[in-house]
Amino acid sequence: MVSPVKIWRRQKEKREILGKEGKVISWTKIYIAPNDFKNMVPYPVVLVELEDKKKFVGQLVDYEEKNLKFGQKVKAVLRKTRNVGQEDVIPYGIKFKPI
Amino acid sequence: MKIIAFYQTKFGELWEKSLTSLIKEAIFGVLKEANLEIDQVDAIFFSNMMAGVLENNLHTSSKISEIIGKNIPIFRVEAACASGGIAFHLATKYLSDNSKKTVLIVGAEKMTDYSPEETTLALAAAASGEEQEAGLTFPGLYALMANFYLQKYHYSEENLAYVSFKNHFHGSLNPKAHFQNKLTIEKILKSPYVAYPLKVLDSSPISDGAAALILTNDAYLIKKSKYSVSVLASEVATDTINLFQRQTFDEILATKIASELAFKKAKIERKHIKVAEVHDCFSIAEILAMEDLGFWKKGEGGKNIKELSTQIGGSDLTVNPSGGLKASGHPVGATGVKQIGEIFLQLTKQAGQRQVKNAKYGLAHNVGGSGGTVVVTILGS
Repeated sequence: MVSPVKIWRRQKEKREILGKEGKVISWTKIYIAPNDFKNMVPYPVVLVELEDKKKFVGQLVDYEEKNLKFGQKVKAVLRKTRNVGQEDVIPYGIKFKPI
Repeated sequence: MKIIAFYQTKFGELWEKSLTSLIKEAIFGVLKEANLEIDQVDAIFFSNMMAGVLENNLHTSSKISEIIGKNIPIFRVEAACASGGIAFHLATKYLSDNSKKTVLIVGAEKMTDYSPEETTLALAAAASGEEQEAGLTFPGLYALMANFYLQKYHYSEENLAYVSFKNHFHGSLNPKAHFQNKLTIEKILKSPYVAYPLKVLDSSPISDGAAALILTNDAYLIKKSKYSVSVLASEVATDTINLFQRQTFDEILATKIASELAFKKAKIERKHIKVAEVHDCFSIAEILAMEDLGFWKKGEGGKNIKELSTQIGGSDLTVNPSGGLKASGHPVGATGVKQIGEIFLQLTKQAGQRQVKNAKYGLAHNVGGSGGTVVVTILGS
């Protein structure tokens, strides 16, 4: 479980990245994951250079295999990040989708 | 300041051993190697990463006091996979401040009692919050570097495979190694992905084990010792915890900084180093290390590794004669201590079948996380 207060504290950082566009400068596909991510494997994670030249990492969602390439244009979106218990606060965070 | 003894337990899945029993074996093993009694040790530096997270086991300093039955200062050090190198570094500083003293450095880790998911999660504690939230694991972080490198310099997964091929050959010559089997390039390439483009056989294993060194500046003890090796430099550099905050992804900047400082301090050149233990937690890491330490030009590592010039008997310096993290095993807290110990064995001609010829200087390179901490140690006989 991720503590609700930690989830709350991280929100302000996420707001700055949300909606920004960028391009993939490296990518991987994870096959062995920690428990909270286990039911998503295999999932791609992309290293993105955003329009303001800042960089960030996140999972690639709503993708096809052909999108797993260098230079792929992506947009930062808000998604559920990990699986938690039924009584826990659902954590949302930055993921990327191809555009 | 000289290293006068080294001991390591077997690395591997040691079902019958606890963290405490591994520490005990290493401490009394190295004392026997040095022909010393515990009363002659003035302080202990202990390196361990995960006992707090995995087995709710902290305050190990006091546990070690109980093992040895003494009340001397004992310090526990944590810097992820660089814990061992940092413990050694702090031990050298302790001796710089205290004359005629002898210290024991012991690194240990117990990892195989847990599922791969539990261990992956515990290791991920050494990554940033953002990386953890992206579902990035350590293989994942190095996979991002590997894919970046392969794309930039036009190499393939086959180039990476030669690192594991060489290190398993070396492991086959090391009776303490976790894996003592040789691999074929084909077998490495056919192993399943952990994080594309890195496969199981590009990755160091989850291991149990401990390693210990005796370091002293007591002239009488040094004179009396059968073996001794000088510490010429031990330098530390750090970098951002987030991989994405770095300038580029085909280098580990902290390695470059620490190695520049270390060579300056040791007053020797790269060509004098005939043997090195570098941090090959993943195949790509050894290639980046060789470039960032200044042994190879940036971008040429993928080509050079295929020539196997760094294999024992090759034309270049020998790299990872112990088998590296890949074959020798990677009990996180013990690794940095074992690397320095392997160089000690090589420089004192105690390395048996894997002995490198005519080595007067050696280097150990220990990395924490994805490059957030690096220690470079240079030893001379």
